[in-house]
Amino acid sequence: MPCGLRRISVLVLVGLTALVTAGVAAAANGGFTPAAPDSPNARHTLTAYYVILGFTSAIFVLVEGLLVVFVVKYRRRERPRTAEGAQVHGHARLELIWTVMPVIILCVIGIVVFLELPKISSAPAASDPIHVTVEGHQYYWQFDYPNGARTINDLYVPQGAVVDLRVVSNDVIHSWWIPDLGGKIQAIPGHPNHTWFKADREGTFVGQCAELCGLYHAAMQAQVVVTSRAAYETYVTTTAKTDLGKAEYVGSCATCHGMNGQGGYGPNLQSSPLLVQPAGLEQRVRQGGVKMPAVGDTWTAAQMQALARYVKAHVYKGAASGG
Amino acid sequence: MAVDVAQTYPVTWKNGRIASWLVTVDHKRIGILYVLTALFFFVLGGILAVLMRSQLATPGEKLLTKNAYNEVMTMHGTTMVFLVIVPIMAGFGNYLVPLMIGARDMAFPRLNALSYWLYLLGGVVLWSSWFATGGTARAGWWSYPTLSELQFSPGHGQDYWILAIHILTLSSLAGAINFVVTIVNMRTRGMSWMRMPLFVWAMLTYGILLLVALPTLSAAVTMLLLDRQAGTHFFIPSEGGNIVLYQHMFWFFGHPEVYIMALPAFGMISEILPVFSRKPIFGYKAVAFSTIGIAFFSMLVWAHHMFTTGLGVGLDSFFMISSMVIAVPTGIKIFNWVATTWRGNLIFDTPMLFALGFLALFTMGGLSGIFLAAFPVDWQVNDSYYVVAHFHYVAFGGIAFALFAGLHYWWPKMFGRMLDERLGKLTFWLMFVGFNLTFLPQHMLGLLGMPRRVYTYHHGGLWEAYNLTSTIGSGITALSVLVFVVNVWRTHMLRMGVRAGNDPWLADTLEWYAASPPPPQNFDAVPYVASARPLRDLRLRLAEESS
Repeated sequence: MPCGLRRISVLVLVGLTALVTAGVAAAANGGFTPAAPDSPNARHTLTAYYVILGFTSAIFVLVEGLLVVFVVKYRRRERPRTAEGAQVHGHARLELIWTVMPVIILCVIGIVVFLELPKISSAPAASDPIHVTVEGHQYYWQFDYPNGARTINDLYVPQGAVVDLRVVSNDVIHSWWIPDLGGKIQAIPGHPNHTWFKADREGTFVGQCAELCGLYHAAMQAQVVVTSRAAYETYVTTTAKTDLGKAEYVGSCATCHGMNGQGGYGPNLQSSPLLVQPAGLEQRVRQGGVKMPAVGDTWTAAQMQALARYVKAHVYKGAASGG
Repeated sequence: MAVDVAQTYPVTWKNGRIASWLVTVDHKRIGILYVLTALFFFVLGGILAVLMRSQLATPGEKLLTKNAYNEVMTMHGTTMVFLVIVPIMAGFGNYLVPLMIGARDMAFPRLNALSYWLYLLGGVVLWSSWFATGGTARAGWWSYPTLSELQFSPGHGQDYWILAIHILTLSSLAGAINFVVTIVNMRTRGMSWMRMPLFVWAMLTYGILLLVALPTLSAAVTMLLLDRQAGTHFFIPSEGGNIVLYQHMFWFFGHPEVYIMALPAFGMISEILPVFSRKPIFGYKAVAFSTIGIAFFSMLVWAHHMFTTGLGVGLDSFFMISSMVIAVPTGIKIFNWVATTWRGNLIFDTPMLFALGFLALFTMGGLSGIFLAAFPVDWQVNDSYYVVAHFHYVAFGGIAFALFAGLHYWWPKMFGRMLDERLGKLTFWLMFVGFNLTFLPQHMLGLLGMPRRVYTYHHGGLWEAYNLTSTIGSGITALSVLVFVVNVWRTHMLRMGVRAGNDPWLADTLEWYAASPPPPQNFDAVPYVASARPLRDLRLRLAEESS
């Protein structure tokens, strides 16, 4: 390639990189580090990330820098193609250095990770955690609270409390992940897992399933709603119960049948007779249909009643007229 | 006399233009069949990649339905791993190993032909699954149960997938045995272990790793098949099965597989960098022994793919440490390669550009791997687009760039004509820019919280910006492959490629002693090998004699 063309390609490349970097740097957290942490485990993960980022950036600059310097300095120029370079076969001491140095760096990284580990993997001692069971399900998240309340897709927790999550599944593998509140853990049928978080501030934190779980994997979103202790208590004792039917419909049924039962991937429900036959509805929801997963195979009788009440009142538009 | 000849070789149909390729047992022809078939599947797998990127350019379900996306994603991964990278390495190995060690052919030529035809059959079976009831497999290239079980993946796509994997493992096992036997037994006079080309070292470890890793994969998919078709419950927890077992079995194969794909690529780089630096490889022994070191440790790191499975801190710690150990021999290779260019006479022909591109990009892929090895950090970045970016920096920026270096380097040996340098350089620059545009932003997407294997996303702002950038990059990458195809077409169909002599690059190893392309028997005589660079020795001796 002629020299000019090569220079232009390099300039274009550098320009593009600079442009992308500048654009990214302008935005807050452009994706160069994990999400801003709002829980101690996420915060310590970020510390470990920064330590690794420091060492790897240094190695990156060293290797790529040497490569660029050598490429420029030892390029052929006017030498004939047959001219040999220095016939160096190796250098034992140099090779020893670049064997030992990475070992030392990796040891340091390892030590930092192990120092941070207890603060990431275990909840703070002497805390009185709120135990919640998280069930991943095609294609929604279901939460069971200590008082027996159940919610779909929205997990309500009080700010500042340690929340211990037992993560389970009854169908396929899912993965629980709210980036601001720490790393992910798979929900595996027959293999219950645990994770925890402690939200530092009130707010809503979103995340979605991180393990391919089927057709609607991309739709399987969860949010953690962090409120005051009082608001949390009100929610799990009263609101959760009154909202249950709606939560079930919106979190599970609406994914395929639409928010108003107008249909989508699944058929239109608005005039389906099943909506006013609780027994038939329960059977369909528990066992699934031709293409429909058994969305409600772990639902309680109370849940079934709540769903039946909700769909009858809000989705059903009466029997189809005239066929 | 003429009658005698006719009686000795009564069958003439075998000499036909097409028939001679169908019945060939010549390692060079089998190698070419492998390489061309793999390139064909590379284009198919690349089309799937561009389809996925186009779907993800903007949010919504516009180009591919969610079902089609899962099919395309599964087929892209399976195709690129099992039908492109592993077999194209077998192709280069087939073509080059006998030539590099001064042999006439592989140890078992008929077995060799069998491995190729099984490979083609496996590819046909996998791609015919588009016509299966229910479509292709759509549980990802790992096919984790229970998603891949009959209840959640009805139809026959998953069964086609299992059948294809079975056929391909048989193909690779036969090939692996052939490589190991050939390399151990058939080296020419003087070629001791320490004079063996580094690509041959790589193919030896490729063979050994395949022999160790493949049976576990065969067992895992057999159990899956029995679950689906014979009513067993190996991976059905409600019946007492254990699906974590599948993850262990898959990755006990899956991680060595990464090095099965990468080590031959490393071997190519170790051949090409010295030739275009006009120097010997820096630290031959370190590079050779680090190959063996990587192969050994690659069998002890599988569960670093399973940190989010919940194995417990003890196991996680073991696999973190072993994964970091494997970074050391890999680092040795990178530093030795960089040092190979030191004080050289660097010639920037296309193979060298791709080799330098490999060095730049593979370093990046190796370093992002350290984040994944540290398991608490892995909990944050694994199964997100970060890991997609990481393994494409290894598999595309690393392995595929090495493959393109190898294609441009050995093309004149295989086909007798030089590829065009200007088009070759255009291929490189387009691919380098396109690749980085595609995969660099994916690191950021993962850190922002985008999981892998989703057909759409629900956030605006940077999510859309990075996804669109990535899609534009994939278009540029596709264009670079198109330029390569044009280059091949121009060289051969238009016969515009310059005829290559035996040794157009002034190389070091024995394949360049044979004619381009070599005759069926490869060599009439092979010079005694007195060092790792027999051809340079020969050139120096000839220069001495003529002076």
